[in-house]
Amino acid sequence: MEVIRLDRVSLWRRTQEEFSYDLKKTLLSILEGKYRKPAKKLVLNEIDLVVERGEKIGIIGANGSGKSTILKIISGILQPTSGTVRVRGQIAPLIELGAGFDGEISVIENIILYGVLLGFSRAEMRNRTQSILEFAELEDYALVPVKALSSGMVARLGFAIATDVQPDILILDEVLSVGDESFKHKCKQRIEKFWDVDATVIVVSHDLGFIKESCKRSIWLDKGQVKFIGDSKVAVEHYLNFTMGI
Amino acid sequence: MKFLVKNNLASLQTWRYWELLHVLVMRNLKVRYRGSFLGVYWSLLNPLIMTGLYTAIFGATFASYYGNSVLNYLLAAFTGLIVINFFSASTSQALASVVGNGSLLNKISLPVSIFPVSMIAANIFQFVTGVLPLLVIITLINSKSLVNVLALLFPFLALVLVCTGIGFLVSALYVFFRDFPYFYELIIFVMWISSPIFYPSAIVPKSVKPFLGLNPLSPIIESLRQISLSGAPPDLNLIWGALLSGLIILSLGWACFQLWRHQFMDLL
Repeated sequence: MEVIRLDRVSLWRRTQEEFSYDLKKTLLSILEGKYRKPAKKLVLNEIDLVVERGEKIGIIGANGSGKSTILKIISGILQPTSGTVRVRGQIAPLIELGAGFDGEISVIENIILYGVLLGFSRAEMRNRTQSILEFAELEDYALVPVKALSSGMVARLGFAIATDVQPDILILDEVLSVGDESFKHKCKQRIEKFWDVDATVIVVSHDLGFIKESCKRSIWLDKGQVKFIGDSKVAVEHYLNFTMGI
Repeated sequence: MKFLVKNNLASLQTWRYWELLHVLVMRNLKVRYRGSFLGVYWSLLNPLIMTGLYTAIFGATFASYYGNSVLNYLLAAFTGLIVINFFSASTSQALASVVGNGSLLNKISLPVSIFPVSMIAANIFQFVTGVLPLLVIITLINSKSLVNVLALLFPFLALVLVCTGIGFLVSALYVFFRDFPYFYELIIFVMWISSPIFYPSAIVPKSVKPFLGLNPLSPIIESLRQISLSGAPPDLNLIWGALLSGLIILSLGWACFQLWRHQFMDLL
């Protein structure tokens, strides 16, 4: 059963330099007749991708090649300019953990807040608070405001909330460097558990060894285009050859 | 069958929206009142102090327009102030809400409109627990009628509609123009001066008056005062006027927000 399907997905975005963040300047430029529409750049170019249930897929490519953008399209954060996206199942985004926390309120309140942001219900999150605190090893900090935690603790909390329930689709964007060594080990174990069962996993990483080892199939992106899609070892080889200029 | 699935999806989305709104409003209120023992009643302090100040300065001069009663002036100033206060607080908070949550919107797929709406909702909660009881007492004393107390709901509803509409509009504009808050401060000041809050509308020259009618808050303040202060039964025409102004502003704000929403993500 396919869980993700991208059909000729293209995305145009405004380029960073063209931001006209200024009402005064925009009004003046309209009055002077110099106003032009903000320039757009093609970030993804006609991407076709089908992911079957339980597949582990790696995405590799240089910085700015559109790796994270593809993940955002799949998670529904960005809408494609043209083409269609179909996704079946619950997605757990593990993109920079802790973005949804509010430093002023307590750890328990943040667990509920973050859980609801991720799409769970409040009742569900209340039931799960204990197991999340346990996994994050923060039982003693339950009522402490999050701003009083160390950055390692915050990352642990984020990981614990996002992975407390087995998601249908897990998205990993360079996040395996969480916390101290013992917690890293715990994270790895949990992710490996997902790996063994039927979860679909999409990994973006610059760790090519890790991609070769753990993903069967990989996509090599370059300037928003799929250059290669297929066996991970071959994909990594193509990518390396390309960057070395061979 | 397909219809059923669609229906289900819509109710699921509504439910998710509601859950999101709940946690965001709770967070909002908790952050706002953390460590202050007066809690929600802080929000009463501002209009009370302002009312006292206006009454001390203008009360004696304008009393003749209010049946020679400084108390009437005080009540009129208070009812006007709670409206403009609600407006300026809720829309200014809504203004920053989308940009302020930009990094979150880049990481989790969320309905963007939830952020301005949650700001308005937090202010509704604050109004209902802080100012409303006082307003109910004033209304009961003046009109001695429960109908008037219930009718307070309508101008307040109109106020919420106006603020939500403006909230949508300004939160969207702020995404595109980061210097917009400076302009908005000016706009709030214009709204403040152009609604008859601390002066009787009778002192405004005839040639200027039609422009004041454009202020969407004027019909709301007028209706609220009629219900709470006049002692007469609620005037339906004033209520309709207020609600109509609310509906127009809300549809305008919502339309702009929906139209521009797709461009937000490139700028956040």
